[in-house]
Amino acid sequence: MVEAFAVASGKGGTGKTTSTLALGMALAEDYDVTVIDADTGMANLLFHAGLDDADVTLHDLLVDERDAAVSDAVYERFGMSVVPCGTSLTAFEAADPGRLRDVVAELAADTDVLLLDSPAALGSKSAVLPVVLADRIVVVLQPTVPSLSDGLKVQEYAHSYGTDTAGVVFNRVRPDENVDRIAEQAGRYFGGQTLASVPESDAVRAARREGKPLLAHAPDGPAADAFREAAARLDVCDGDGREVAERFKNAVVPERI
Amino acid sequence: MRIPRGELRRSRVVDDAAAVLRTVLDEELTGYVVFEPQDALLLGEPTRGVVTFEDGVPVLAYDTEREVGGRDGLEGFAVTGPTRAAVHAVDADALADAHEVEAFRVPPGEPARVLAGDERLAAETTDAAPAARRDEGRDQSAVESFLADADAIEEIRSEAREEARARASEWGLDDVLADDADDADTDDDADTAAIDVGPDSR
Repeated sequence: MVEAFAVASGKGGTGKTTSTLALGMALAEDYDVTVIDADTGMANLLFHAGLDDADVTLHDLLVDERDAAVSDAVYERFGMSVVPCGTSLTAFEAADPGRLRDVVAELAADTDVLLLDSPAALGSKSAVLPVVLADRIVVVLQPTVPSLSDGLKVQEYAHSYGTDTAGVVFNRVRPDENVDRIAEQAGRYFGGQTLASVPESDAVRAARREGKPLLAHAPDGPAADAFREAAARLDVCDGDGREVAERFKNAVVPERI
Repeated sequence: MRIPRGELRRSRVVDDAAAVLRTVLDEELTGYVVFEPQDALLLGEPTRGVVTFEDGVPVLAYDTEREVGGRDGLEGFAVTGPTRAAVHAVDADALADAHEVEAFRVPPGEPARVLAGDERLAAETTDAAPAARRDEGRDQSAVESFLADADAIEEIRSEAREEARARASEWGLDDVLADDADDADTDDDADTAAIDVGPDSR
């Protein structure tokens, strides 16, 4: 069984990478979870997962004539399989985004849940591909006008490619913000459900400094609780791993950007 | 809006606004930049806007043709392609009055995001902003009014749909577009389908 989720926001700074790893760790209690840093232009998942010194990364899998096996870029961390992306701009430029499809297909064959940490942009093919390849998106929002507006845009892109919305996570919510009212209004436009409202927390920055996902750094804090609640609401669809892998292989994704 | 005339530092045509915003951030400019998208000019649609800066961080945005400020103003001169950027330096005290006009203020990262679609630069700019400005744009009543305006939201969505389809052609992703994606009335169906997304859904 496998379902691929793209964790997307359309805007930077909403805490997408933190959310991806937090949802991943929470889901890993019940499922085999693989997390892929699909933000190939601005990788930072490696810093959140203590993989700064990873030898082989997704970039190595996306270049022509690669000699790395997909499994070489998979690191078992915090109960999940983590595929980090490198930070070199040269490697990014040499990478062929179309190859992401093959990598995802291979990883899909052997996991329950795939989480794609997606770029905070929609301006290039490599930025949109995770949303194209996923079954559903999880939209990470802050309760601000620009964030909601960009979240709506990323959702429309996803729907255009037949990728539905699993739900919305309101992240970095400040104590004076009444997210219930905003969530109720936003629910009219966003598909799926409100998965959680995650409070702004110093633990997130501390976790990042320590190179650990939030759920490893501060598992008992309110932010971690909220992410676990979000994961519990995310009904993972049963899918046939081979069929999904086949679909990724057949997705028409020609050459380069 | 009245901005005191500054000292022209340079004026040149650049490929996109990001390069200018980055330079201005690096050199911590206090002043303003006048943007004139060249493609709009060629099409006979004079488009011009001003962004003011304090220590390299954007403060105000104003569309001088439509006379609209703030984020809406920014969108007026967010035209892809080459733009002429005239960089002016102004004394910080001279800008203080103009910077009081709340309605024209934009969050620090917004020009990078809207004019250049550059999230990385937007994040860097927000990081470089004074602590008090990093949370700008977080006004609950503004969020609620935004969400209450169903027509404006539908406009954002339909523009995004059109943009997604146009770019899919550009990127050779036509074949993976959902068949019904151009039909705005299918939104409810799409939501229902989220419960059971089969491999055949695309």
